[in-house]
Amino acid sequence: MIRDITLGQYVPGNGIVHKADPRVKIILLIAFITLIFCAFNFVSLAVIAAAVMIIILLSDVSLKLYFKSLKVIIVIILITSILNIFYGTGTPIWQFGILKITMSGIYRAVFVSVRIVLLILISSCLTFTTSPTDLTDALERLMKPLKVFHIKVHEIAMMMTIALRFVPTLLEETDKIMSAQKARGADMESGGLIKKVKAMTPVLIPLFVSAFRRAYDLAMAMECRCYQGGDGRTRMKSLHIKKSDVFCIIFAVVILTGVVLCDIFIAPII
Amino acid sequence: MSFISASGVKYSYEDSDKNVLDGIALKVNKGEFVALLGHNGCGKSTMAKTLNALIMPKEGVIYVNGMDTSDEEVTYEIRREVGLVLQNPDNQLVASIIEEDVAFGPENLGVEPEEIRKRVDNALKTVDMYEYRTFAPHKLSGGQKQRVAIAGILAMQPDCIVFDEPTAMLDPNGREEVLRTIKTLKEKGITIVLITHYMDEAVLADRVIIMENGSILTQGEPEEVFSQVNLLKKHSLDVPQATELAYKLIGAGLRFSKMPLNTEECIEMLEGALS
Repeated sequence: MIRDITLGQYVPGNGIVHKADPRVKIILLIAFITLIFCAFNFVSLAVIAAAVMIIILLSDVSLKLYFKSLKVIIVIILITSILNIFYGTGTPIWQFGILKITMSGIYRAVFVSVRIVLLILISSCLTFTTSPTDLTDALERLMKPLKVFHIKVHEIAMMMTIALRFVPTLLEETDKIMSAQKARGADMESGGLIKKVKAMTPVLIPLFVSAFRRAYDLAMAMECRCYQGGDGRTRMKSLHIKKSDVFCIIFAVVILTGVVLCDIFIAPII
Repeated sequence: MSFISASGVKYSYEDSDKNVLDGIALKVNKGEFVALLGHNGCGKSTMAKTLNALIMPKEGVIYVNGMDTSDEEVTYEIRREVGLVLQNPDNQLVASIIEEDVAFGPENLGVEPEEIRKRVDNALKTVDMYEYRTFAPHKLSGGQKQRVAIAGILAMQPDCIVFDEPTAMLDPNGREEVLRTIKTLKEKGITIVLITHYMDEAVLADRVIIMENGSILTQGEPEEVFSQVNLLKKHSLDVPQATELAYKLIGAGLRFSKMPLNTEECIEMLEGALS
């Protein structure tokens, strides 16, 4: 079940989005997320949606994966849109007791679901096309100015790299421990929520012990490979802003101004 | 002068009085392949850690290529020259992509990016994992992961690699792969110290050292060491099956010119003895 979560999974590829500089991608992601929340009418929402679609189609990742990442949050989308339908103001189209549906409620629901879908799609696009190392690397470089405030940027990035590296390993181990405990007669499926959570204790304790052991081993392995922190370290893949990155930025700026203009000249719907 | 030379090395862990290493003297020459054998807890893993300055001996000295391991100024130089490959391949890989993991060592050394690229490619080709360079570690088998770990050490261009039971957690195929890689490294002139408790791995070495209770029990060429069947049995250590068979046959009155170490040699000698 845990394996179905596609968010945060990297898909190797050779498309234009894969090759873009991860720093540019992160900044553009932040810009797009802000933008998605700045769209107040259908035209600007459509512009963003179109832009997101173009990026996804260019991304050299099968659309199936994007659908898969949406599948996980379909419940959230449904709940929020249903709630929003009933929160509208204005003249009701349909009323039952205190429940009433208005035009603005429907608009709201559409906006919220489209926004969530776009958010998931665009952030999945980042994680699908950027290797975790590139991602942490880019974050390290983007956060470098924070060193002024004595924030240990390199250490944070290193921790993220290691955490990402060990997620699949620990998942595998959880599976193994669960099977081992089941083989010893542990019952993890029956009972209510509290009972189920309690049943996880014999899984979590060995998992923690082993995680500490792994950490100890890993620290030793890193020392063997001359790790001395961030100072004096070089990187195999140095990041350069390429021509294609400039195009990406221009594309984003065009979309950005487009949305802002739409917002200014077309009356807001919500 | 020997590449590694240790004398009078003693070491004990903080929570016990017992000396894990009890006055070890050891010499390893450049390009040599040495196998270190012994029971669990005989101090062989501790010995491995002293060789690349992960721990300092409490008494005695260890010189690596003329550098004292207790000299903190050369610690990283020693670690670059003597790489250590550990038992569990999963716990040695740092990055989520094979080639980036292999690059970790040279990156720490501050090597130029183009040079790192070259080293990573070469190291991955040496261990025969080049086609997997963009894979994630969890998609590989144990033997493949261990080979990647070896490549990670190789990319630092060490003169010597210490293997601490590199095959203990692998299936037979993985063991075969790793041993083949170790042989390739030996041919490339890299000094190898292989810590193991598999006798059939030890017979590949130029020299076998048997440890017992923190000191060296006996050492010599594999043939020489394994022919001391009585001594090894007394310390409840195994000998290779072929050698044991020959030993029993000699006891029964058969005559062999020398002790066989593997199945092929054994068959050959049996044919010779029976014809």
